[in-house]
Amino acid sequence: MSANRELPAAGMPGLPKGQLAALLALVTGAVCLLLQDYAPWIVRFPEAWTLPATELVGAGLDSVLSTIKPVMRAWSWLLSYPMSWANAVLVGSPWPLIVGAFTAAGWYIGGFRMASLTFLGFGFVLLSGYWSESMNTLSLVSVSVPLAVLAGGSLGILANEVPRIRSALLAALDAMQTIPTFAYLTPLLLLFGFGPVVGLVASAIYAAPPMARNVILGLERVDPEVKEASIMSGASRWQQLFLVEIPAASQQIMVGVNQCLMASLSMVIIAAVIGGFNDIGWEVLLTMRKAQFGQAFLAGLVIVIFAIVIDRLSGSLALERKRHDRRVTWGLLLSGAVGAVLLALTGTDAAPEGVFSAAAVAVDNGLGAFTAAHGATLDGIKNSAMFYGLLPLRIGLDQAVLPFTWGFQWTPAMSLWLFAVAVLAGLGLAATGRHMAGAGLVIAVGVVETGIAELPWPFVIVGTMALAWVAQGVRLAVLSAALLGLVLISGLWDRALLSLYLSGAAVVACVVAGGALGLLSAVSGIAWMIIRPVCDMLQTIPLFVFLIPTLMFFQIGEFSAFLAICAYAVVPMIRYTRHGLVSTPPEMLEAATSSGATPWQTMTDVRMPYAAPTILLGLNQTILYAFAMLVIAALIGTTGLGQSIYLALGQADVGLGVSAGAAMAILAFVADRLAQGFAEERRRALGL
Amino acid sequence: MEDQPAISVAGLWQVFGVDAAPAFRRAQSEGGSARDIAGRLEERGYIPAVRDACFEVAEGELFVIMGLSGSGKSTLLRGISRLVEPTAGRVSIEGEDVLAAPKARMTELRRSRIGMVFQHFGLFPHMSVIDNVAFPLKVGGMGRRERHDKVQVIIEMVGLKGREGAYPRELSGGQRQRVGIARSLAGDCSVWFLDEPFSALDPLIRRQLQDEFLDIRARLNTTIVFITHDIAEALKLADRIAIMRDGEIVQIGTPADIVLHPVDDYVREFARDVVRGRHAKVGSIMQTGDDRAANGTPGLRPDMTLEDALATCMAHYEPVAVYDDAGNLLGTVDPQDIASALKADRG
Repeated sequence: MSANRELPAAGMPGLPKGQLAALLALVTGAVCLLLQDYAPWIVRFPEAWTLPATELVGAGLDSVLSTIKPVMRAWSWLLSYPMSWANAVLVGSPWPLIVGAFTAAGWYIGGFRMASLTFLGFGFVLLSGYWSESMNTLSLVSVSVPLAVLAGGSLGILANEVPRIRSALLAALDAMQTIPTFAYLTPLLLLFGFGPVVGLVASAIYAAPPMARNVILGLERVDPEVKEASIMSGASRWQQLFLVEIPAASQQIMVGVNQCLMASLSMVIIAAVIGGFNDIGWEVLLTMRKAQFGQAFLAGLVIVIFAIVIDRLSGSLALERKRHDRRVTWGLLLSGAVGAVLLALTGTDAAPEGVFSAAAVAVDNGLGAFTAAHGATLDGIKNSAMFYGLLPLRIGLDQAVLPFTWGFQWTPAMSLWLFAVAVLAGLGLAATGRHMAGAGLVIAVGVVETGIAELPWPFVIVGTMALAWVAQGVRLAVLSAALLGLVLISGLWDRALLSLYLSGAAVVACVVAGGALGLLSAVSGIAWMIIRPVCDMLQTIPLFVFLIPTLMFFQIGEFSAFLAICAYAVVPMIRYTRHGLVSTPPEMLEAATSSGATPWQTMTDVRMPYAAPTILLGLNQTILYAFAMLVIAALIGTTGLGQSIYLALGQADVGLGVSAGAAMAILAFVADRLAQGFAEERRRALGL
Repeated sequence: MEDQPAISVAGLWQVFGVDAAPAFRRAQSEGGSARDIAGRLEERGYIPAVRDACFEVAEGELFVIMGLSGSGKSTLLRGISRLVEPTAGRVSIEGEDVLAAPKARMTELRRSRIGMVFQHFGLFPHMSVIDNVAFPLKVGGMGRRERHDKVQVIIEMVGLKGREGAYPRELSGGQRQRVGIARSLAGDCSVWFLDEPFSALDPLIRRQLQDEFLDIRARLNTTIVFITHDIAEALKLADRIAIMRDGEIVQIGTPADIVLHPVDDYVREFARDVVRGRHAKVGSIMQTGDDRAANGTPGLRPDMTLEDALATCMAHYEPVAVYDDAGNLLGTVDPQDIASALKADRG
């Protein structure tokens, strides 16, 4: 290693880009390790060098926010009208009418299947005893979605009409979706004051980008000849857009509406953390805080069922659909109305008390009994994951290995031995031609020894630059370094590393588990039949709900957060891996088979390389999902940026909330660009 | 020829690239032939997709532009119809300078005078057949009842009676292109652009639609610009053919000209697989001013194809006479010339 140190990394022409970058990171890491005892500032960025970013941002935003506050308050006042109307309709109407109306809509959209799904779903909600809370949530969604559809749709059309602003707008949409959900809430809280309007506006803001994106995509994908035909028919631009292009793009636009609905629902529920509105998200939060997990589970289930019904209903709008008998639609509506009248006559028009509360109590008790009986096992799982997996990754083997857990004390001599072995193995790999694997091994050992949260900052920045350089080029390298530098001098660096550690650990776990499940699904149709509906459901569930089961079994803490993140972020990895593996062109497989390849050889030598770009895109999604969930998981105990954002919300500290949110967005952005860069590079290499 | 051509295109350039117009002007100001200018543009990273196109189409003429894919023929048509703005040049349609026409006027022209048919049909997926066909009338502001009545005739003409309520996805390829043709005719156009209308169809349907197209054409007497990459189609339909290569028009001529007198190897290559006898006429190899009394009169006419002519004068070894319909002696044809015309360039 000391031999390596003397080598001037940049002065080695003829080395491939990847090896040069790996060497650069390796050398930086080694230098940092060697110098850490002499220059502590290398490991820990001195506080004196940081800017009081959170205060500056806070002061700046405060002045901006207070100037536009009156306008926003007026808005808030305006918005409260449609909200109270929607609320009055949904909460005020007798439940048979609502159930009837939704079932009729289900029939109209998707026939018997949708009608029965809707009926059963709403029936469950009714019997759960959370009817009015659910209707409160629905009324928020029903106002925020039209707002988001309108805003997102106009942005999409604007981007389509004015190509010059298109890339800027897309970048803004990217940013809006990488900024963690909680970070929106703090400034909105200041603007609109406590109350449901914040949730409404936040969910509209959060739900608009998918709409805009799908409108842009849909309009772009309209067959160019269809556009030309409308021009040659003598349609004005306005006529082209509204008579031809938008209707022709309607399927994609309906996909946008579907995503918009789901995003809005998810955000409305998350917005419950600021309280002030008796909706179903609030109910989950409340029962979770009171450790009534049975109730929390029930309320969570209501959300899940709600989400599934809304998703499937709006999803089938995007499909071509058959006409269903109108008379049934009217019949269902009518029977709802008759039910309402009958109910009013008998004088019991309130929604029934929850018939499942006994079940919830039973779940509570059962859970209590279960955790009592298997507490040791659960603790064992949790502790071994913490002590032998998460903790070393976080603070490094040098600090995590203690007599108390591992049975011995880590000594500097062990570090030396470890490094020596790693370097030897690395050189061995390099000698057999696998230079990258060798360098990677040494770097990985170094990271595990040091711990992600304790990594020297020059190493993180140089390593990221090296990766970015290989993934895309100098521009991304410089951009990433500048953005990370911003985090560094803002004083949020330590927290950023903590976030990086937890999401990194979750991503690694997801890659391993998701990759394996994806592979399994690709080779076995039966496995996919089982895994697919689970994936569908996991992607429909609002983020919030993931916390409930992990909390039930593993209490508050980092491990629960880790599990919740994994559960949410593993889905894209599974899907993309499978998709990449099964979409190998048949001729390619036939060519491999006729060359005499065994199925396993075909898998490793043909299908996997071909699937690499797709799998990398899955990794990219997994990373973004992990970051998104990290912030939500702050509710059940994580450290790092997520926690700061959550705390800032409680204290209405705009500076902290926004800068921590921005830092989080920076991490997500850099990770996203890296993964996309590698995917793109692979795709080019394959000539796709 | 009529006094004024229905379509006239002069010096039309279509250059793609960032800031193509100034780049073109600069390249042009440096002088030289069109080929030099195009070469210079290419060196600078621009794509001169259409280079200095010049041609005229007479009223009622069926003008075919033929070339391989990437030769710029579709781009040329899009320049004439202003689906893309040409970089330089002049286009006039029925005496009106369309490149100078304001947007509103262009829209007006497209509603009333220009019809266009697309290779992949360009049908509106969310509209039924009748709504697709009536679309030009709808955007022109005609009421629903009136426009539906009006297009009924056209729908019958293209043989789609009874399918008015169907949606494009429910139609076969041939039927879809019938809808495309009907829609382009809805506005009573006098100038008709067809961009490889039959290329996406299978050969049997293609031939059927070509024949129907000729029928429609005979009835409507519109001026037609027809794009194709298929030499057989071009020879079958065209009054005159323009052959394009790399954005340039290399030859304009009647089908017989193209077959018998190709200007270069590129055109010759096209004509190679064509059964010459079927497209070249007796008139094209007839000698005039030769007063030698021709032996025998098998009854050759100038508009007879060489194939038929050869069959008629198989037994003759001397030049035979060619008469017009009124029985006047026009000139003579040596049967050997027929044979060698048929054989020319084969090998």
